[in-house]
Amino acid sequence: MTSTGFDFSRQRNASADPLFRRILAVAAGAAGLLLLVLTGYLIAYSAPLWAIQSPISFLTTPQWITGIDQADGSTLEIYGAASMIFGTAVSSLIAVLIAAPIGILGAVYLVEFAPRRLAVPLAFLVELIAAIPSVIFGLWAVGDLSLRLRDSIEWWIASSIGQIVPWLSEDPASPSSSTVFRAGFLLAIMILPMIVAVSREFLRSVPISLREGYIGMGATRWEAIRDVVLPTARTGLVGAVMLALGRAIGETIAVTMVIGNAPGIPSSLFLPGQSIASKIANNIGEASGPIQLGALVSLALTLFLLSLTISLVVRLSLRKFSQITAVS
Amino acid sequence: MNVREALLQPRSLDRRRARTDTLMLRIFQVAAFLSVLPLFALVFYVTLRALPWLTPSFFFNNPLDQEKGVLNAIVGSLQMTGLAILITGPIGIAGGVYLSEFAPKRVAAISEFLIDIMLGVPSIVAGIFAYLVLVPILGPSGWAGSAALSILTLPIVIRTTQEVMRLVPASIREASLALGVPVWRTTLYVTVRTALPGVLTGLVLATSRGLGETAPLLMTARGTNAENFFDFGTTMNAMPLVIYRYSSAPDESFQGQAWATAFVLMAIALLLNVVVRWRTVNSRVA
Repeated sequence: MTSTGFDFSRQRNASADPLFRRILAVAAGAAGLLLLVLTGYLIAYSAPLWAIQSPISFLTTPQWITGIDQADGSTLEIYGAASMIFGTAVSSLIAVLIAAPIGILGAVYLVEFAPRRLAVPLAFLVELIAAIPSVIFGLWAVGDLSLRLRDSIEWWIASSIGQIVPWLSEDPASPSSSTVFRAGFLLAIMILPMIVAVSREFLRSVPISLREGYIGMGATRWEAIRDVVLPTARTGLVGAVMLALGRAIGETIAVTMVIGNAPGIPSSLFLPGQSIASKIANNIGEASGPIQLGALVSLALTLFLLSLTISLVVRLSLRKFSQITAVS
Repeated sequence: MNVREALLQPRSLDRRRARTDTLMLRIFQVAAFLSVLPLFALVFYVTLRALPWLTPSFFFNNPLDQEKGVLNAIVGSLQMTGLAILITGPIGIAGGVYLSEFAPKRVAAISEFLIDIMLGVPSIVAGIFAYLVLVPILGPSGWAGSAALSILTLPIVIRTTQEVMRLVPASIREASLALGVPVWRTTLYVTVRTALPGVLTGLVLATSRGLGETAPLLMTARGTNAENFFDFGTTMNAMPLVIYRYSSAPDESFQGQAWATAFVLMAIALLLNVVVRWRTVNSRVA
């Protein structure tokens, strides 16, 4: 087989393929590179702040004061992220506390009980919630949901437990127009589909034979879920909740619209506060000078590191999960 | 052990277990119902508030016109998202193809990891990055807005492309290679072609995400009241920006416009997702 035509075509292929691969590799590399450049920029632009304040004092100071002239003519600049970290953490935790039980139980229903012709449309509808842009959730909360929450759940809690526990109290004469709790509740609605969808995948991955074996021994369906399905899928369910937590922490615009953007750490959940993302969104337009900008970029860096940590934890825990399924 | 005890007990215990079973079923049902409730509440309420404001002038006029509308925001959103997809589409598909077809195992693992992190980057962080890099060069503009949306949509396109390319059976590739077709031709005309519906799904999801992003556009495109179609060099309006700005406006007509814009945006997002997700949900359940 020494036909020149054949050899020629082989040579041409051989020279074209590495080029083709290289072009594709560059595209794949661009995405990874983007992440590194992003990290580099955040670190570089946050540097001016570290000249006047240490990272630890940035993370622990609750005040955020931008260059007010003192009586003696000097300017006072204090940048503290503590109150924003508080707002982000608390609203995200409220969201997870509400959404995790409902989402996991809902996913159990979809996987274990719902007939197929009901499970398919239900799962589809839940996933559609995730498709709605967050600014629309924000608008809904501002125009409708927020008021309903104020007069229902929030009021019930404040007028019962709130009488004893100060951080659940609310002034009945003038309830706040926006509160940390409402931001958390809105986040719960927004992360619910993620919890349902991911939990559903993990519950479905529990082998049917495990359930059959237990039910065959005389267990009811609920007992099989409690003793077999949920323990087997446990790590995956925790991963689902962590993923949702990451989403809640990074959520910007909906939270900005309902949390109230008030400075300081609120003394009650039913008072306005601020989150890391809402502070950046509100202040980036009027940032003047490298230090002020540096403070906002430092906030973004904090948020980025938080979500990065959560991503890492999720990946590690889900890796463990896949080993468990491989064994069983 | 539970079960063994139960079998030895008198029947009253069985009855209690059956009752618990039914009770738990009801609880699960309620949870599933609560999971879908927000969708109906939201769609119903937005539609209710938007209907009176969905007039022709809303669609065809600009904010500064006598009868104000949001035409420049609708066009601006489509333009910036369209340009973002034009950028991320080819790069993302090429990157996804590389990761699934050619990348050495370790490179693929590391890249997947980085892209997963990219997917989780909060949109405000991506926005501030675009703000730091692009606004000093291009000024607040449609270009900067498109670039910010590109950063957010790129990982979605890469990831979905990679996932669907993996599902293409090796036998199809082998058949093509056995016929003497070069690797690049096999990849483009056989593998990518087979996976094309899935690749397009990724593009549609990325479009839907891009249309709804608000925070990055606040910093980069900023929004405007002027009519500036195709003028990417100036500040550009977008639907999410209109919703955000008008939502807290005291004037009722502005709020009405916010609801009507939300309705349009919601309709587009739901439509795009209904089209692509219906198929995937079905295939995953089967």
